[in-house]
Amino acid sequence: MNAPASTALQQEIAQLIIDTLNLEDLTPADIPPEQPLFGQGLGLDSVDALELALALQKRYAIRIASDDKDARRHFATVASLAAFVETQQQAACAG
Amino acid sequence: MTAPTPANPADGLALRIEQWRAWAPGLEDVAAWQAWAAAPQMRPDAEQAQPACAFLPTMQRRRLSRLARMTMDVAWPLCGEHEQLPFVFGSRHGETPRTYALLGEIVDRQPLSPTQFGLSVHNAIAGQWSILRGQRGESVALAGEADTFEHAVLEGAMQLAAGASAALVVVAEESPHSAYADWITDVPFSYAVALRLGRVAPAEDAQDGSDWLLRLRSSAHAPAVPDAERCAWPHALDFLRALLVRESSLEHVWKTRQWNWQRTR
Repeated sequence: MNAPASTALQQEIAQLIIDTLNLEDLTPADIPPEQPLFGQGLGLDSVDALELALALQKRYAIRIASDDKDARRHFATVASLAAFVETQQQAACAG
Repeated sequence: MTAPTPANPADGLALRIEQWRAWAPGLEDVAAWQAWAAAPQMRPDAEQAQPACAFLPTMQRRRLSRLARMTMDVAWPLCGEHEQLPFVFGSRHGETPRTYALLGEIVDRQPLSPTQFGLSVHNAIAGQWSILRGQRGESVALAGEADTFEHAVLEGAMQLAAGASAALVVVAEESPHSAYADWITDVPFSYAVALRLGRVAPAEDAQDGSDWLLRLRSSAHAPAVPDAERCAWPHALDFLRALLVRESSLEHVWKTRQWNWQRTR
């Protein structure tokens, strides 16, 4: 495999996306860390984004402000979501 | 072209069952339904079995509830690829499982799932049908009492009377959560029945299907119907049974409404 191996957190988030959004027949391997989740990539839409934000908040005990201007960037890919979750968790521990 | 004539269920509505399709746990093809019609019996429904709906890609299947899958499974083949058909969705209890899940989240003080919330309304499945099949015509979502089936067929017959050459009627119910066991007693197992209704054409236009006259008699002062005279099966399933064993008539009574079905061809 030439693609960079995904981290444990990235795999976990890919699985969370599959479970939360009821993406039957897909496995985490079908959602590479750098593949865009919305639009031309996986094909998620705005309702999926809301659903996913809810699931991430529940699973990782983080807060995602609804007016966060960077949300679009955080939700771009599995990799960016994993980085966002890590940052939030570190911030929570430090605070 | 003659102008469509007004239809009145008291006079009797003539309609053709051009095609039918049904789903229940373990009853997924014509042979299985023929066997069920010959000897109607309970179906085990604890496993939450549901149609695969493999004709839809994963991304289009992701928001379909079990009830929606049952509806798509039975309705899908009855509508042609480039056909626009009026759509009638009838369900007495609708998306009760989604509502129950939402109520649980409220009790647990959890945020509500936007998907569950958005799709818990009664016309959600009709909307999904419209989106998935590119249907831009009329659609109706009905909830009645134990005779929801007849009301849905009546609505479909009205579409024919208003000029449609065919109409699609789906009645679907899902076994409710056990919390509802004391209140919901008319869903022995999950089922969906789809009928493609057409107009009754002259006899020489012989083709598949059967013709029926549906008549409604009602009496505001009718005595309550004894339980023994009520239909043992949901009306949609009982009609399907009569259709398959080629009964010439049947009567479904609910409260003051007496629905009489007469086979005319």
